[in-house]
Amino acid sequence: MDKLILRFVLFIAKTFLKKDIDFEKLKIIAETKLIMDRRRVRVTMKKQTKKEPNNQILMTLIVYSIMGLFIGALVLSLKEIIITMTIIHSYVLFMMAMTLITDFSSVLLDTTDNQIILPRPVNSKTFFVARLVHILVYLLQFTIALSVFPLIFIFIGYGILVGFASIITILLTVMFAVFITYLLYGFILRISSEEKIKDIISGFQIVMTIIFAVGFQIVPRLLNIENLKVTMPIHWYTYLLPPMWMANALQAVQQLHVDGPHLIMILLAIALPIVTFWVMIKFLAPSFAKKIAAMGNAGTQEEIVLNKEGNRQKGLSEIISPIVCVNKIEEAGFEMAWKMTARDKGFKIQFYPSLAYILVFVFIVVFKRGEDFANTWAKLSGSQSFLWCVYLPMFTISAAVSLIAFNENFAASWVYISRPLKQPGSLISGALKMLLVKFFAPIIFILFVFSFYVWGYKIIDDFVLGIFNNILVFLIISHLGKSYLPFSMQPNVNQQTGKFIRVIYQMAIIGSLVGLHYLALKIWWLVIVLIPFSAAGCYFLFRTVQNYSWQKISN
Amino acid sequence: MSIIQIENLKKAYDTNYVLKGINLNIEAGQIVGYIGPNGAGKSTTIKILCGIISDFEGEVSVMGLDVRKSPIEVKQKIGYIPELAALYDVLTPVEYLRFSGKLYNLEDNVITKKTSELLRLFDLHDKANTRMTSYSKGMKQKVLLISGLIHNPEIIFLDEPLSGLDANAVILVKEILAQLKTAGKTIFYSSHIMDVVEKISDRIVIIDKGEVKADGSFETLKANAHLGSLENIFTALTGGSEQHQSTANEFINVLNS
Repeated sequence: MDKLILRFVLFIAKTFLKKDIDFEKLKIIAETKLIMDRRRVRVTMKKQTKKEPNNQILMTLIVYSIMGLFIGALVLSLKEIIITMTIIHSYVLFMMAMTLITDFSSVLLDTTDNQIILPRPVNSKTFFVARLVHILVYLLQFTIALSVFPLIFIFIGYGILVGFASIITILLTVMFAVFITYLLYGFILRISSEEKIKDIISGFQIVMTIIFAVGFQIVPRLLNIENLKVTMPIHWYTYLLPPMWMANALQAVQQLHVDGPHLIMILLAIALPIVTFWVMIKFLAPSFAKKIAAMGNAGTQEEIVLNKEGNRQKGLSEIISPIVCVNKIEEAGFEMAWKMTARDKGFKIQFYPSLAYILVFVFIVVFKRGEDFANTWAKLSGSQSFLWCVYLPMFTISAAVSLIAFNENFAASWVYISRPLKQPGSLISGALKMLLVKFFAPIIFILFVFSFYVWGYKIIDDFVLGIFNNILVFLIISHLGKSYLPFSMQPNVNQQTGKFIRVIYQMAIIGSLVGLHYLALKIWWLVIVLIPFSAAGCYFLFRTVQNYSWQKISN
Repeated sequence: MSIIQIENLKKAYDTNYVLKGINLNIEAGQIVGYIGPNGAGKSTTIKILCGIISDFEGEVSVMGLDVRKSPIEVKQKIGYIPELAALYDVLTPVEYLRFSGKLYNLEDNVITKKTSELLRLFDLHDKANTRMTSYSKGMKQKVLLISGLIHNPEIIFLDEPLSGLDANAVILVKEILAQLKTAGKTIFYSSHIMDVVEKISDRIVIIDKGEVKADGSFETLKANAHLGSLENIFTALTGGSEQHQSTANEFINVLNS
């Protein structure tokens, strides 16, 4: 599909731009970029990748069109055109801007272009237009994926005239999304360094992944709000919201009636995206390109906090590690894994969204579908749903066991092999302790506070048993699975092997422990009696992991 | 007329001058070794000569063209092979060379023919259609070399061309550089490998902290400095060998403490 769109965009570019542009070079740059787009591993897709991607972008586009199907269906159930159109256009605007920021940022901020294309005889205008053409093709692919289903529903629901008008307004919305992205980048570039930008963008990527994850859970649940009857009169702030311009313009088209406010809306809808786009090409983009070109040169340094004597201050991990670890090697594993998980983009992007799942799960499980929220809340303290709060975090935290084994910079793990380690297992147990202290402890604490508020002091013993059981499950899972040293494996290659089986026995183990715990609730003293057994199990397993020899380590 | 003329070249990042007034004239057909310690300004000089960096002070012309005013023409006539193996490694060598060749306005059939032959000469023909993500640094460096030479440039700029290459490839590259010189090309390169520089350069320019410290053939440098090898001359000019020795001593002392 991208080739077809490229031909179309190039045809348009040829008609409108003539001066100073070498179309042969333009075409090869854009073509090459599109090939690379197809092969780039995407954030939202990362988990599924086993081998080198051939056409990653296609999968992403399919996911987007499924999202579009949901939105389109949601929209068909609403009868008010203003609301419908506002939702669709907001959705397009939001998704487009987010996609540009998260997925496309790697392209926009890629400084290898400077090293590869700048030494070749390509004039800056050709280079710039080539970038623009590439962006346009990319945008059109996503626009089509995002809006194909909503547009079909609009054609069905509102007829041909509104349908065609919607195509135009959606394209205008996309233009506006590009402008917003550029503004955002310009702003970030002005206030911070290259490293900061990458951090900010990976923050956006995490938000994006969470929205995907949560969106697929929540949006289908909203589909039965068909009785929603809201009218949206035009307020002063309506003039500030691009999706509202589009919606009002479309309403005017539908009713074939134009009054003063609607006329302004139509003008805004058409003129502003075009004007801002022009401003972007003329003024923003050149300075933006210059900034990016400068990025490769100026080195940035991460500042390290110094104390009064001028020495480096001890990090939190270095204060905690002697308390929870039993030997120096374990401390090393603990501190290293702590710091890496805070700084490695790959880990953050894969792990943090899964934390958001805990909230979604708690929400879904504790508050059952179709029941009144207040009603459920009132009945909650009588139920035994707190067991969910105790055991749910383990599903996500134990997923991190395999995550910390993988890192882009896996080759650096030669350092383990070259050191005189008899029991490399201590590195693993250190990393496992890190996961428990850094991620499990705060989450279980929050859930404990919540549960204590709802159910009162009687759940304290259950939480104590639950925490030990969780640690037990966690250790069993990592003990039964393949043992990798922290950050020593190449990602995406065999990350997925055995995952299904692991999930199965994870479910079985957690299931039986929760079942046991549930049964134990019937006899008041049993929970307390079980605690020492669970704790002893944890101790035993920790010792086992610590004493792993090299034979036990997989590579 | 000199093929490369540099007059009082200065370059600052922010307020920090990395080049503090370089003056060089290079005749056509020479192999010039440009050496200096890390951060001396080697890469920056080469980037300016290639028309990649345009905000600098002083006058620089390449083949009679002002690099500031006509960077495109300069780029068409020269070949630049950068230091870091910077290439789009999700592409295959054939795809990448087609891409970079087209940016030099080469015809498709010329690119195809040259690419397959040059890859064969570099022993890469059996991997010509594999993505470069699996390539070693040396293999990538070979592809970079081809991509910088495919348009048969008059002047070739190489930034650390030998880093990461295996012994056979080093000999091959040395031979290619010598052949290019015989064909009348001018070669300007930076390197850390002193014995190679010593052997193949007609002229050696040593820079340190943005200034030229020595300039001439290996024989003249040797005669002036009364030191045996280029390595000795280099340390004498840029660091001082006593300095190195005392640092090394201190290093051992700290290890023993």
